Amino acid sequence: MMEGMKLQKEKLNDFLDGLRKEKYLFAPQKEGESLQFSPVSEESQVELDFQNTIIPPKNAVFPQTETLFTYQIGKLDIELPEEDRERVVLGIRPCDARAMEIIDRLFSWDEDDPYYFDKRNKAALIGLACLEPCINCFCTSFEDGGPASTAGLDVLMTAAEDIFILQPVTEKGEQLLSEQDLLETASDDEMKTVEKSHAEAAEKLQRKIDTEGIPQGLPGLWESPLWEKVSGSCLGCGICTYLCPTCHCFDIQDEVEGFDGRRCRMWDSCMFGEYTLHASGHNPRPTRRERTRNRINHKYAYFVDKFDVIACVGCGRCINYCPVNIDILNILAQVKEEL
Amino acid sequence: MVDLEKLRQTAKDIVSRDDVKHIIGWKQGTYGFRVEPHFAAEPDEADALTFSPLCTNNLATYLTLAEKLPVPRGEEPDTRKVALMVKGCDSRAVVQLLVEQGLTREGVYVVGCPCSGVVDVKKVEKMFPDILEPAQAYWKNDQIVFQLPDGEKEVSREEVLPQKCLLCRYPNPVIYDELLWDEVKAWGSEDYEDVKELEAKSPEERWDFWKDKFSSCLRCYSCRNVCPMCYCEDCVLDRLNPTWTFRSVNLSENTSYHLARAFHLAGRCIECGECERVCPVDIPLMKLNRKLYKEVVERFDYEPGIDPEATPLQASYRPDDEEDFIL
Amino acid sequence: MSKDYEPNIVAFLCNWCSYAGADLAGTSRVQYPPNINIIRVMCTGRVNPLFLVNAFQQGADSVLVSGCHPGDCHYMEGNFYARRRFTLMKELLEFIGVDPRRVNMSWVSASEGGKFKDVVEKLVKDAKDTGPFEQFRRNKINW
Ligand code: SF4
Ligand code: SF4
Ligand code: FES
Repeated sequence: MMEGMKLQKEKLNDFLDGLRKEKYLFAPQKEGESLQFSPVSEESQVELDFQNTIIPPKNAVFPQTETLFTYQIGKLDIELPEEDRERVVLGIRPCDARAMEIIDRLFSWDEDDPYYFDKRNKAALIGLACLEPCINCFCTSFEDGGPASTAGLDVLMTAAEDIFILQPVTEKGEQLLSEQDLLETASDDEMKTVEKSHAEAAEKLQRKIDTEGIPQGLPGLWESPLWEKVSGSCLGCGICTYLCPTCHCFDIQDEVEGFDGRRCRMWDSCMFGEYTLHASGHNPRPTRRERTRNRINHKYAYFVDKFDVIACVGCGRCINYCPVNIDILNILAQVKEEL
Repeated sequence: MVDLEKLRQTAKDIVSRDDVKHIIGWKQGTYGFRVEPHFAAEPDEADALTFSPLCTNNLATYLTLAEKLPVPRGEEPDTRKVALMVKGCDSRAVVQLLVEQGLTREGVYVVGCPCSGVVDVKKVEKMFPDILEPAQAYWKNDQIVFQLPDGEKEVSREEVLPQKCLLCRYPNPVIYDELLWDEVKAWGSEDYEDVKELEAKSPEERWDFWKDKFSSCLRCYSCRNVCPMCYCEDCVLDRLNPTWTFRSVNLSENTSYHLARAFHLAGRCIECGECERVCPVDIPLMKLNRKLYKEVVERFDYEPGIDPEATPLQASYRPDDEEDFIL
Repeated sequence: MSKDYEPNIVAFLCNWCSYAGADLAGTSRVQYPPNINIIRVMCTGRVNPLFLVNAFQQGADSVLVSGCHPGDCHYMEGNFYARRRFTLMKELLEFIGVDPRRVNMSWVSASEGGKFKDVVEKLVKDAKDTGPFEQFRRNKINW
């Protein structure tokens, strides 16, 4: 594997321009009030000084709304969207990259989802090591999680004083870096500093959960009064799921205007009442109790059962943004108590 | 003055009654400056209740949020009262629910907490970042005092209160069965300065302002769900037949969503500011609400959530309502 | 904007007055611009203000709600409710930046064929001045 490379911070914009030449570049930018991953253009102000974006980068490969095909009413053929371009996602946090690896498993479960993998296979992820984790981060609670974990990444980037260090992780990453001409080989000293900052970052994490036993124990708590207690204040909104980097549920709808129609899919949330509403009017998850139970079970039991990994990466978003302070670590702690 | 002893004792007395299901109040959250809604059904659960400048949530929303499942055959429906702790603004939601008959007066027991303004947690977290340890706060004259791990910090109210509190005209509950402590003196007045500022701009400038905001909306529906006045069982925005607003997230549908939300709250919004507080992408929803509030007050001389005997604004009319714009 | 831009105006007319008024304009062979697409409703009170939003989304450049004069509504008070709702929706649309000339309401009675013509002419003129509505038009560009 190629050695660590360095990039002078002042050359960042030129570096981005280089990446952008042939590829779609997604990087964190201010959109209105909030920072999110969106395509970089000439005028974009890329921001790399942040804890984490509010909206996770999953939209770079799994957009919130995506056209599957378009059609004309009364005609028999459909038109598929154009194939997507190669893309680079720069500045993604290690937890979010791990999350992408996790949802890959879902989208390739029985058959590969062509829409998802069209983007995913063409995406190179340049991660940004998380040197100042937020108070509710708990990524180190998971095997291969951590503020500088390389899981899912093609390149790991770390900010040092006036340089960025870029370490290729996969062949794709190596290829990508070798195409760039602004990089220089980093010295051993520089690499050591970076390693040290990674270790220090891991120390800064304040929250942790020992997941031992949770996946096996959750099914036994199906009827526990716990669920009623933890869901009492839930508003049934979509914040926790929309902001979660591993939540991947979608709905498919036809949208027609005049004679033009399209079938599209859009993020959906298991916390919404209509999510499980049957056409008959019956709803197997009629209250917020069942929905909350499902959210926790899906992440910490069903997903483990099917795909052998917990579908939670510890990014802390659902804790940070829940308007009524429903705290997944608190729920899990209560689960553990009941085991 | 806030008297937590009294608050907890009152709550205990209330939940001990046979005709009360539970009391909804606030308790210390799991970290930092967060407070969470607390449902106490037993006297010992009432010990966790609290009241402080951090108690932002408008709990009146829980009066209508609970799903109404069919009562199993042979069982009696639960007709016990729900007791609710309210600040001034929250109490207006109760009144408005009574006006709309979304609630019966016998169905709720209102415990009033005169309030001196609650904080905007986003502002506080900016001011004191990275505090994980649960922190507390209390009012002291014109200051709010935060008890942080490294000692107490006094901050002036202007710095940490949201706009709705700075302008608040009803800090004392307008309806209650029991008041926990003395009423406070109201401080606010409303001149709709920011609304007027935007009104003064050209249509293009106004659209430029809103376009950005609406396009960043995620349609998480948090603003709708948290709103105590949004309690339709079948929301027009969830309907598929007819589909008023497509589910896809783009500027057109998001605008349609926001127009529908704001319009449906015209003459009903009681300015509790919850919608704006919960929005993860900081869309200034109160600007839309306040614009309509202003029109409602100025044109129809109507204020929602004050008089339980009032008729809902859009279910009434005056033959001489203004119509200068009608051709 | 090109010279031959023809605006698309969606009009919700109440069955008892304005629709009859439009009909009268037709039967008395009054000439008015053909840019108006009429949707007949039983009463202006039936016009959900979201109709206006939806019309804009689907390609209207301007909208009109028209009904009986106050006091003349076939259902006694439908237009009074409609007036309140419309006032609020108009204010709201203007506040987010929709040109006020695009959101219109009128009272046209069954005998006012001439007034109907005037209203349509004014709307068409205004709509030509304001140009095509694009702000939150739901169109294929998003797809
Ligand atoms: S809370 Fe904010 S992001 Fe969510 S639907 Fe409301 S405005 Fe949109
Ligand atoms: S619209 Fe917002 S401010 Fe108004 S009542 Fe609902 S949550 Fe409160
Ligand atoms: S019937 Fe014409 S407005 Fe009601």
